[in-house]
Amino acid sequence: MNALTSLAALLERPETLTAEPRPAGLGRAAMLGYAAGTLGAFIFLRLFSAVPPGVLSYLVVLTFVLAANFLFAGLTHLFMDLTGARGAAGRLFLAFGVTDYFFALLVPLAFFSKLGAPGAFLSVVLVVTLVVYARVRLVRRVTTSVTNKALLSVLLPYAAFCALFFLVFVYSIAWLIWLVV
Amino acid sequence: MEEQKDPAPATQSPLPPPAAPQPAQPAPRGAAVWLKAIAVLYALSLFAAFAVLSRTDAAKKAQPKDMDMSKIAGLGKKKDSVAVIPLYGVISQGASSRSWDRGSQQTAKRIKMLAAKKEVKAIVLDINSPGGSVGAVQEIYSAVLKARAEHKKPFIARFGEVSASGGYYVAAACDKIVAHPGTITGSIGVIFSVANVEGLMKKIGYKSESIKSGKHKDIGSMTREMTADERKLLQSMIDDSYEQFVAAVAQGRKMTPEQVKVLADGRIYTGRQAKENGLVDEMGDLQDAIDAAGTAAGLGKNPQVLSDGDPLENFFSLLDTKLSLFGAQAVADAVNPAPRLEYRWSGR
Repeated sequence: MNALTSLAALLERPETLTAEPRPAGLGRAAMLGYAAGTLGAFIFLRLFSAVPPGVLSYLVVLTFVLAANFLFAGLTHLFMDLTGARGAAGRLFLAFGVTDYFFALLVPLAFFSKLGAPGAFLSVVLVVTLVVYARVRLVRRVTTSVTNKALLSVLLPYAAFCALFFLVFVYSIAWLIWLVV
Repeated sequence: MEEQKDPAPATQSPLPPPAAPQPAQPAPRGAAVWLKAIAVLYALSLFAAFAVLSRTDAAKKAQPKDMDMSKIAGLGKKKDSVAVIPLYGVISQGASSRSWDRGSQQTAKRIKMLAAKKEVKAIVLDINSPGGSVGAVQEIYSAVLKARAEHKKPFIARFGEVSASGGYYVAAACDKIVAHPGTITGSIGVIFSVANVEGLMKKIGYKSESIKSGKHKDIGSMTREMTADERKLLQSMIDDSYEQFVAAVAQGRKMTPEQVKVLADGRIYTGRQAKENGLVDEMGDLQDAIDAAGTAAGLGKNPQVLSDGDPLENFFSLLDTKLSLFGAQAVADAVNPAPRLEYRWSGR
């Protein structure tokens, strides 16, 4: 069963995402999702000269995406576990991989952005919204929880990272002032 | 009603064969077809993206590394100019090493930096200062002398409203001094001032005691009357500093120390009086000083002026001013009662 067939089966019967034992080909489909999604995002960034060219550069981005999603899946699972929902972190990681296919949309959107509409930022926002929506739906299914809780659990790591980034930013400014003064 | 079914008699039909293991259910064709179509479109868009990227990269590589600057050659070349360095307010060491702080060390650094610039052909010191602490004044004076000796560039001092005592000390190091006729200048001398708050402290019942290693360790203390010995010591210090001032003026103005001493009893002069006494060279304003600098440097009158000010430093300076309670710190420094040895005219 190739990755495409596995993905098609998952689309037709989403309940297999939580099936035991794990459906054959799910891992491959998820990893291909990460690879294809990251490639889409990488090409998008390349078209806007935001990342350096080369396979190594792509691999760096892919590693980052995998690491971030691994962490996100872990945090989402932790939150769900603490709030009484059941599920598996591994399955969440694979589910996130499946949603990453949507990042492939960034490639055609990059061309449209270059033509003027929609803008690059709007394109990214559109795709990220789509990915978050898909993730919420899958998290809801994997952990058998309500939509709001699933939404909270998916957005929580992003919020934590935003807060961390903000703290680091504020600290950097304070440090810069201290350095100059 | 639910229909009752009788179990089939064993003799009517044979047992069904044992169920074979179910093969993996193939995915329905609908989704697979759509996915294949999407995959083909993705591949096509990737192909297009790679084509665009390879062409862009090739164009970037083919671009000559050396840009054709012929059309903008004039922009790259820095024009010969005269730098103007402001020296405003009381001259002091500065309370910090902040680059925007206008302490003597920053001014000295600025003089050194601008004198070293190729495009700077002459420097104008725009002085509007009643002087300041001896060490700080001498730091700037020394920076001017060194820059002159090293770069052989003309230095012109311009006096604004007041350029007395330490302000004049610094100007003495310059090649030429330009002042307004009404500028307050002179005040060649040294002053050591110390407040005595002994009576006040007695009134409020405050007593200060000092344990010292030597009898003069608390010289200049505000909490008691100055002794005759201390007065003698301080006077000798002031005399020495005065001699240094006189020597600096004599050297800068090409006069003998005796000639300077006649003028250097601490009195102030107007710009015109100072010119009559040889302490100033020309009457004029800032533009006249810039013109004089341009002429001395061979740039002619009305040369290009290099603005002295880094945008980032100005920004931080503004922030610093706002953070320092709108300059309250500067006021506090000015009224600081701690004893100081100064080349300063106390009229301002």
